[in-house]
Amino acid sequence: MNNTIRLFLIALLTVGFLTSDAHAQDVLVRNATVLTVTNGTLENTDILIRDGIIAQIGSGLRAPRGAEDVDATGKFVMPGIIDAHAHIALSSVNEGTSPVTAEVSMEDVTNPYSLGIYRASAGGVTVSHIMHGSANVIGGQNETIKHRWGATDPDDIRFDGAPRTIKFALGENPTRVHGRRASGGSGAIVPATRMGVEQVLRSAFENGKRYMEAWDAYNAEASTNPRAVPPVWNERLEVMADILRGEILIHCHSYRADEIVMLTRVLGDYGVDRITFQHANEAFKVAPELAEFGAHASVFSDWWSYKFEVYYSTSYNAAILMRNGVVTSINSDSAELNRHLYHEAAKSQRYGGLTDDEALSMITINPAIQLGIQDRVGSIEIGKDGDIAIFEGHPLSIYTIPVLTYVDGVKVFDRENDADDMRVDVDPSAEVGQYEGQVTGRDHMHSHEEVADLMSFFQSVADVDLPHAHTLND
Amino acid sequence: MYSFRGILRGAAFCAALVWLGGMPDEAYAQKNSPDIPVVSNVVAIENARIVQGPARVLQSGTVVFRDGVITAVGRRVDVPYDAHVIDGDSLTVYAGFIDALSHTGIPEPRNQGQPESVPDRSNPPFDRAGITPEASARTALDPDHGDLEKLRNVGFTTIMVAPRGRMLPGQATMALSAGTNGSEMILQGMQPMFFQFTGAQGVYPGTPMAIMSKFRQLYREADRRMRLEAMYAEDPSGLARPPYDAVHEAFFPVVAGDRHVLVWTDEVLEIHRAMTLQEELGFSMILTGLEGGIDTVDKVAGSGLPVALTLDLPDQPRFAAKLKADSLQHILDSYDDETRTATFRDVEAEKENLEARQLWSRSRYVGTAALYENAGIPFAFTTMGVSAGDVHGNLREMIEAGLSREAALAALTVNAAALFGASDRMGSIDTGKMANLIVTDGDVFDEDTSIKMVFVAGQMHEPSNTSSGNRSRDRAEASTSNQ
Repeated sequence: MNNTIRLFLIALLTVGFLTSDAHAQDVLVRNATVLTVTNGTLENTDILIRDGIIAQIGSGLRAPRGAEDVDATGKFVMPGIIDAHAHIALSSVNEGTSPVTAEVSMEDVTNPYSLGIYRASAGGVTVSHIMHGSANVIGGQNETIKHRWGATDPDDIRFDGAPRTIKFALGENPTRVHGRRASGGSGAIVPATRMGVEQVLRSAFENGKRYMEAWDAYNAEASTNPRAVPPVWNERLEVMADILRGEILIHCHSYRADEIVMLTRVLGDYGVDRITFQHANEAFKVAPELAEFGAHASVFSDWWSYKFEVYYSTSYNAAILMRNGVVTSINSDSAELNRHLYHEAAKSQRYGGLTDDEALSMITINPAIQLGIQDRVGSIEIGKDGDIAIFEGHPLSIYTIPVLTYVDGVKVFDRENDADDMRVDVDPSAEVGQYEGQVTGRDHMHSHEEVADLMSFFQSVADVDLPHAHTLND
Repeated sequence: MYSFRGILRGAAFCAALVWLGGMPDEAYAQKNSPDIPVVSNVVAIENARIVQGPARVLQSGTVVFRDGVITAVGRRVDVPYDAHVIDGDSLTVYAGFIDALSHTGIPEPRNQGQPESVPDRSNPPFDRAGITPEASARTALDPDHGDLEKLRNVGFTTIMVAPRGRMLPGQATMALSAGTNGSEMILQGMQPMFFQFTGAQGVYPGTPMAIMSKFRQLYREADRRMRLEAMYAEDPSGLARPPYDAVHEAFFPVVAGDRHVLVWTDEVLEIHRAMTLQEELGFSMILTGLEGGIDTVDKVAGSGLPVALTLDLPDQPRFAAKLKADSLQHILDSYDDETRTATFRDVEAEKENLEARQLWSRSRYVGTAALYENAGIPFAFTTMGVSAGDVHGNLREMIEAGLSREAALAALTVNAAALFGASDRMGSIDTGKMANLIVTDGDVFDEDTSIKMVFVAGQMHEPSNTSSGNRSRDRAEASTSNQ
């Protein structure tokens, strides 16, 4: 490579390929149809976002100096979409080596370079709940992120102040990963059945309870006895204790009605009541029970039959749950489906006869409630974060097109300026062909390495067919 | 190239020559062993250009060392009567390079087959989980390890050698790049705990997130046990015996702040993870690797952490190797960040854009060291994962991308010495320091320069084929890492 090229490259380095006005947090959106979700639809309305917060909603608003001016005449503005179940922006998903891994956290493997963030924002999504996979009965802690595309520090995409959440998983995935190796190989452990799943849950809660009590006793004794001996430190049980203290919201991968009811009973025995059932394809069968328990549900509109436990399903699931008073959301669990969650909400409306606001609430304020961030996002209200999505055509119409997405008043997606390649980070050595079907260079490498690692382990130890890895993510 | 004086003219020496086969340099290069008489432990390199340290150059001077320690350096220095004298005319002497992290000198484990299965993979024995912080590189050093000579031939005289393994393979040690046996290679001083984000095979901890959790668990439980042990030592009466295992005990000095954690990061997210752990737990950390740490410059600068950057560079994308310089220019000229094509209509346009971005991305990796220099971060270099034959070529690329020669030399010498608290013994050519030296026929960062001699604690080693050291970029050479 000659020096001219080097100089050119260095010049590029200083300019940068991606230019963004990441500091502009003042936006005036004028003359839009505003779908507030919590306060009906407002025609010919302006929204002023100042310092990233919705400051005014009304007509004839004036833009402060330097604010971005968006003429939204004929367009629809809705709150930024919230995906309560995603696996984007992660460099690993499953610590599939133990039925209980409460101590691991997606906070430690958040990947701000993941192109999945940009792609999701192109579908109007501004917040994702990025989750541990479903290999373990009690998986890791999840992370709620904002789609601040362009950030490079994992800390810069976290939803500050969002409550801690944790992934649980029932049914086929944890029993297959941990318990179904007995026939062909060694290393099979509990759980092999749904009964075993319940036992793993009860053991984990019981151990967490004892751990919490041991520390409480130590702390009480230590105030008077300087020679008090602290209990053995346990990162895993620290988290179980925090669940028991009500500091962590549970999001549980589940399908069948029996296992859903089982978990509410286990939680009831331990005084834990903050739970969202994820997927929950049979939740409609126990909707009144869920409403009574105060459990929430986050479901697909019409996705099922990808394994045996997911055959008994209906497109009316979301509407039935909602009509029974269960806080219900529609999620993606997919780096493709998350780009058209508005379409998924519309499908549930089509099947369940929901109102526009009810349908939209399932991808905005309801997932916000399930993640404990409803005071900050999920509707267009003064004082809430400036997370909005602007559409051409009503977002519940099949013909709608997302055109602009803002996070904290910063434009993260603009259809007019959506170049072919919006990656923040490019693998310098990858073959062009290797990019096919991948999310980013980093995601690609990691996920494949990990899948390969998992596969080789299972094949060596278990001698059974490994379920295709992506089913462990759902 | 060099001549003999003093006793070398004496009859005794002639007898020794005959005894040793008649070749003076062979005689000199003989290893110190009781069976073979040593001719002289004193060496003087006369009238050489001496780069004592970064930006400290004697255009013509002499350096004398005895028993592996520099006894004099300067423009006019008395050469002892018994010195083996090397005529340094047209030669340049540098302080020997210090590699801030490598596995070189540690043989690869023989059995790399399937890992043994365990009854409970959620709770495997420590060694199966890759957690052996009580182990030490000191017991595994092998001077005949093949890569050691390669690393020495490109100028490294001192290496922070880390044991091979997974998450916590053991304690690293400073070692010389030569010795008659492993023990002789060992240098006194810092023995940091080596830590990397390499998961166990098929057992916990498998992923980076579990490695993070496991590190916290080990550290916090070690903290508890250390307090218990102190309490028990003071007065055991009425107390249950504190639990003991070697793994937690190895953490005690880390928790107490007496032992550094030397962490290897090979991508940007691992840099963030290492810094997260350090901030949470507060141990002393040396951050190494940092490949792709382009966006972390400010964060690292703000942390004040000691740093050793990788000497590795991403491979050129294959298309670039096939193209001539002018077609690379064409690719760069054709880049358009507004490109919007329907993929099915114009794959070529997207492909050209991607190729331009790959070249640009690689240039950012090459420019990383310069970014750290400009941010005022003093850094060392590590050869982890780099073929010895690539070291000088990669250094030249970094220098062309803006890294100053002074900073490059500092990274390889004084900064690395400071990183390991060994500035009083190595890193520059000064009286009283170890005679770890490189003798070249030009500027060590120039492409046509060869390394003629490498002195390790005063012992001379000549690269067997001088053109294979500095110049070679033989990709087939074995990697110095087990990554």
